[in-house]
Amino acid sequence: MAAGIAFADPIPTEALTQGGLVMRDRQLRDIGLVMRGGRGGFVDIGYTYTPSSEQLELKSKYGFHDGYAFRHHYGIFGSWVLDSNSHFGFLTWFDRVGWDTQDFFFFPHYGEAAHISSAFTWGFSYTNTKYDVTAALGLQHQNLEIASRRYYPDEQDSLLFYWGHARYKNFSVQGSFYGNTFQTIRLSLDLESRALYGGVSSGFKTYLPNLAATVYRRKDGEDDANFVRLNWEQNLFDQVLYADVSYDFPKGGFHSATLKYYPDPSRLLGFEASCLRRNELGGSRELLWGGAIDFFVLRLAYNSAFDYDNMFRAKGTLIAEIHFNLGSIDGQFFGRGAPKPAPMETTKSQFDLKKFMKNRIEQNQGIIKTDSQGNKVIEAKGIRYEKSDAGSTSAEGGK
Amino acid sequence: MKYLRLFLCLVALCLTACMSHVFVDTTTRLQIENRTEVAILGFDVISEDGSVLPWIRDTIQPGEKSRVVEEDWVGNFRVRVRFDKWNGVHSFNGTACATETRVVVALAKQSEADVKHEVDDGCKQEGRVEMTFAEVELDFEGGSQYLVVSEDEDGKAVFKFR
Repeated sequence: MAAGIAFADPIPTEALTQGGLVMRDRQLRDIGLVMRGGRGGFVDIGYTYTPSSEQLELKSKYGFHDGYAFRHHYGIFGSWVLDSNSHFGFLTWFDRVGWDTQDFFFFPHYGEAAHISSAFTWGFSYTNTKYDVTAALGLQHQNLEIASRRYYPDEQDSLLFYWGHARYKNFSVQGSFYGNTFQTIRLSLDLESRALYGGVSSGFKTYLPNLAATVYRRKDGEDDANFVRLNWEQNLFDQVLYADVSYDFPKGGFHSATLKYYPDPSRLLGFEASCLRRNELGGSRELLWGGAIDFFVLRLAYNSAFDYDNMFRAKGTLIAEIHFNLGSIDGQFFGRGAPKPAPMETTKSQFDLKKFMKNRIEQNQGIIKTDSQGNKVIEAKGIRYEKSDAGSTSAEGGK
Repeated sequence: MKYLRLFLCLVALCLTACMSHVFVDTTTRLQIENRTEVAILGFDVISEDGSVLPWIRDTIQPGEKSRVVEEDWVGNFRVRVRFDKWNGVHSFNGTACATETRVVVALAKQSEADVKHEVDDGCKQEGRVEMTFAEVELDFEGGSQYLVVSEDEDGKAVFKFR
């Protein structure tokens, strides 16, 4: 009677009030990945699913409330070809996260202890493939939908955050601002060569690191408590095995390390194992080990570093996410952040008909045998109707 | 077509906000029965920072029941039951400007609680506040819940859901 069965650590109220910062930063990181190409299209939609109301309880000053933590999101980028080199794009990213006493798709219950906030990022992009540059800019709106003052401290939300992104080859700068102060500034150096964006598909160039440094502006009481997060993504084997390490500077130190295995470099399937160091307010530090499996439309994660960071420090419970993400460039498809497109036979034949025909002719040559006198013998397989005046492919192949 | 209708019904159900509403309660309708020999003056949810949210404000005489009060508390919360007196301890003469809490009975089991007697001589609040109460953590599952407060042979307050 006194204590209910808790599957996991409850969600602290402070994690919910920081949700806006987390959302805005993750959206800009996603936009940064899409702006590596800056053309084609990208769609990402997802819905987390936690079936039990005791799975992610809310820990307020009164005790533990039964309910549901949720994260609904989408991201869409589409571009139009202006001329042979120029692409003009439009992008929107939307997240709605929080905690409520009931689960929902669109219309929340708005329980007494509910906290629901959303972030909407949109903007325009321009890419010139001749100079390999992309520029994008837009606005970010952070909206607090409901939060009871009885449970949550005041937080700053605003409809007027603005952001910009500029890329030259594999170097990019991204910033988000409010008024005349910056919120984040990110410098990225994507040295890894990616076949998807015209790089090589194998060799030492694919083993070059992807580095990013982000300066976050944070308030600690009256003082600024800015910090820098360094991210290092490293191809370990054949663009299917990656390590992703993040490190906080000047204080905090090691934040997380993730080992990711994608059976195909197009990243439509993925497995990951992660280790995250929790920095609790009490000063205790512990390592959180976890992992996730991503089956294209379903992601199952337990203690994964991504969910800890993006799902209010959720820990000790299985989180399912029904999601879909797919990008497209030049008729080739890929998953989020992929270095190579998915292997698709149909797109190859559509775009390189000559090569396809040449391959077919070569295949037919393999069938041709020589008899004991050295004469070529063509063995017909099946019945084929051929016009006598037009040379058939098999006859040409025989000559 | 058969499945399309089913699908549309499911979509409509999803849009009406609460998929779990059918089988999960988000409020607790609480009624308290007083089986002790003293009057219960109130039932409150208390927080870590000392703030108090009253739940049942009725004075419940021995052998009586409170009204049913519906609140948004589903989960595990720390609650406080205020008594008129306990074991004959009715009034306490404390020194000026000092808060004194003394345990009238010791805690034994989780569903049994210490009954404390606290006197605040105007340091925390205006005027003299004197209180005899029991604090306990209770798990509210939601829906209709009937809490029986009684006293066992050792003189401890016992909380039981029926």
